[in-house]
Amino acid sequence: MTGPRTAGYAPLASYAAIGDGRTLALVAEDGSIDWLALPDLDSPSVFGALLDPDAGQFSLAPVAAHTATRRYLPGTNLLETTFATASGTARVVDALTVPGSGLAPARELVRRIEGVDGEVPMRWRVRPRFGYGLAGTRIARRLGVPVATAGSDALAVLSFDAGQPEIGAGEITGDLVARPGSAGLVVLSAADGEPLVLPARAEVEARLSATADLWRDWAARLTYRGRYTDTVTRSALALRLLVYAPSGALAAAGTTSLPEQIGGERNWDYRYSWIRDSALALSAFLRLGCAPEARAYFWWLMQASQLTHPKLRVLYRLDGGARAVERTLPLSGYRDSRPVRAGNDAAGQTQLDTYGELMRTAWLYANGCGHIDVDVGRRLAGIADLVCELWHQPDHGIWEVRGERRHFTQSKMMCAITLDLAVALAGRGVIPDRRMRWWRDEADAVREFVETRCFDPRRGTYLRSAGSTDLDAAVLLALLHGYGDARSPRWAGTVDAIRADLASAAYVRRYSGDDGLEGTEGAFVACTFWLVEALALTGRRSEAARLFDQALALGNDVGLYAEEVDPGTGEQLGNLPQALSHLALISAATTIDAHPEPVVSPTVGRAAPGRSR
Amino acid sequence: MSVAGALAGGFVGTVVLTTTLRAGSELRLTRMDLPFLLGTAVTADRARAKAVGYALHFAFGLLFALVYYAVFVAIGRDGWALGAVFGLVHAVFAGTALVSVLLPVVHPRMGGTDTAAVSAALLEPPGFMMLNYGSGTPLVSIAAHVAYGTLVGGFTALGG
Repeated sequence: MTGPRTAGYAPLASYAAIGDGRTLALVAEDGSIDWLALPDLDSPSVFGALLDPDAGQFSLAPVAAHTATRRYLPGTNLLETTFATASGTARVVDALTVPGSGLAPARELVRRIEGVDGEVPMRWRVRPRFGYGLAGTRIARRLGVPVATAGSDALAVLSFDAGQPEIGAGEITGDLVARPGSAGLVVLSAADGEPLVLPARAEVEARLSATADLWRDWAARLTYRGRYTDTVTRSALALRLLVYAPSGALAAAGTTSLPEQIGGERNWDYRYSWIRDSALALSAFLRLGCAPEARAYFWWLMQASQLTHPKLRVLYRLDGGARAVERTLPLSGYRDSRPVRAGNDAAGQTQLDTYGELMRTAWLYANGCGHIDVDVGRRLAGIADLVCELWHQPDHGIWEVRGERRHFTQSKMMCAITLDLAVALAGRGVIPDRRMRWWRDEADAVREFVETRCFDPRRGTYLRSAGSTDLDAAVLLALLHGYGDARSPRWAGTVDAIRADLASAAYVRRYSGDDGLEGTEGAFVACTFWLVEALALTGRRSEAARLFDQALALGNDVGLYAEEVDPGTGEQLGNLPQALSHLALISAATTIDAHPEPVVSPTVGRAAPGRSR
Repeated sequence: MSVAGALAGGFVGTVVLTTTLRAGSELRLTRMDLPFLLGTAVTADRARAKAVGYALHFAFGLLFALVYYAVFVAIGRDGWALGAVFGLVHAVFAGTALVSVLLPVVHPRMGGTDTAAVSAALLEPPGFMMLNYGSGTPLVSIAAHVAYGTLVGGFTALGG
């Protein structure tokens, strides 16, 4: 068990995610669904108890005292929770189903309750609250089925052998007794802007089965087979939940405003797609053999970024739009962590590293997946031109500090990578080569800046920013993306310094120094896996493997990772499941496998920008 | 007064009616989706239902324009204002009988008061004045149908 609720809030580690490629729900270990956004992952929630006890919830549990254990059904995103009571055992399978050929609900959440042994009286309670709990939700019956509505949103609650649904004050409830051989279903059918579809039981059962098969087939197609197969497969399945199927975009996380510090203000909406994640995402898709996802993601990225070309936004909406206006919601926040935000003002920041991420994504795509057409090639050349003009300027950096701009080392390194890759792509005829000489000269100038202004020769480490004494684990990401020679003393020194100053066991902080915000934060999960990968790349594979094994403890019992972990308590923090954490895990695992002892580290420099992954 | 004018009005009117209903949905006033309702009478496939539904919707739009035209001819009058009145009557008829009573009877995938245990999915019935699809539905429906009627009446008159 992950621990009891505090003031109605479950520990973040207690949540497992289910999804259908369009939206995502979080199920707590005690059987309560505390988060579901409808109709899409970035829509307002109908179950928002994660952020406010009054913002909607769907509980389902034995009436008597019980213990719970759970797992994902192997190779799927169907969650199975087993409740054990003094009188018997019952099992619940939760899923968001994928529509088949028949007339299916626009979105369908299924909870299947089976008796295992003995008799288990169970109770379920649906408290729908549309619009983050802020829209007036009404409940009535249609054809005898309880239906909750608000504006153009609607949710039908169907029960098949799971008790007679009763309508109470703002809720729909039911009771049943699970016995061996019994199987009840509670089904939520959702509609947005159209009439509800009220499914028949046989269709729901068929969709549930087909959904399990679909996930199993997808997982079976993953090509990674190594020492971390189970872990990587689970992370791949978690990532797949964050891929918004209608566009191919990868959401940074499934939630908004889960705090980086309990009670703090560092609460952001992560239901957008960050350019920051793009190269790691494409690399992960390719390493796992997910070519369709890689293609869909790359072309979504090209389409979204076209709107703002040649400049890049830090993040884009899942539908490819560029606007992400931030507003504060009047909710109490997870364990009083306020403000609760929808939208993200970081979209308009200047982050020079994004250009390197995009160029590396294009490089990976051109190498491992498909053809880059002439128009996209021209745009990539335009981005290289822009970086030549912009790299001298300070920026907000990968961590989106909300204070004044600085000359962040990682941003400059990614600028060098941008230009190196542009030269390489031009050399292969993928993008126009008219400005190749300019790009090469400016790349040299960036490197000169980094090596003289952003490196501390006394400590032998790259610094957080030019002239700073602080360290930043994000520079490791530049190493992973191919900046410099991984076997150089400079990278060895940087890895040592980061391990000494920012890491404690498997806990790695993002950076030292301030970031313009009040409060503190936990250890950053992705940074731990970047450190693992950096160790492997710099020739310390055994250390990397040991740290990787330690890092696996940062996830929860079903293999999901949030953004951060509190080093003092081990408590998960921040939005979840977090794409960057899972991407970093996959990247680290596959790199460890690809570097057997003795490590053969790649030679990476200006002439070899595209280290093969 | 001409058939061609009525048909032109029927086409333009259906475009406006459809757009008004979509706008009502986007403004979160209603869940009424006539193409979806019509299309699912023909096929259970969602995407195909929408496509078929739009085709049927436009066919019905032209058909109703001909009915309007027949009444204009019968009473010897036409025009924008009279068309608007026809549209209002049309909306009330649709809300109280055509969609709320007749559609559930003839639609193979829509439940009604006589529906017993079923083995296939059912669409939520619209209810009186289609209020099941949202309290703003009557308002949106009336606005859309009045616009439709106005255009049919006006185009019929313009047609000479």
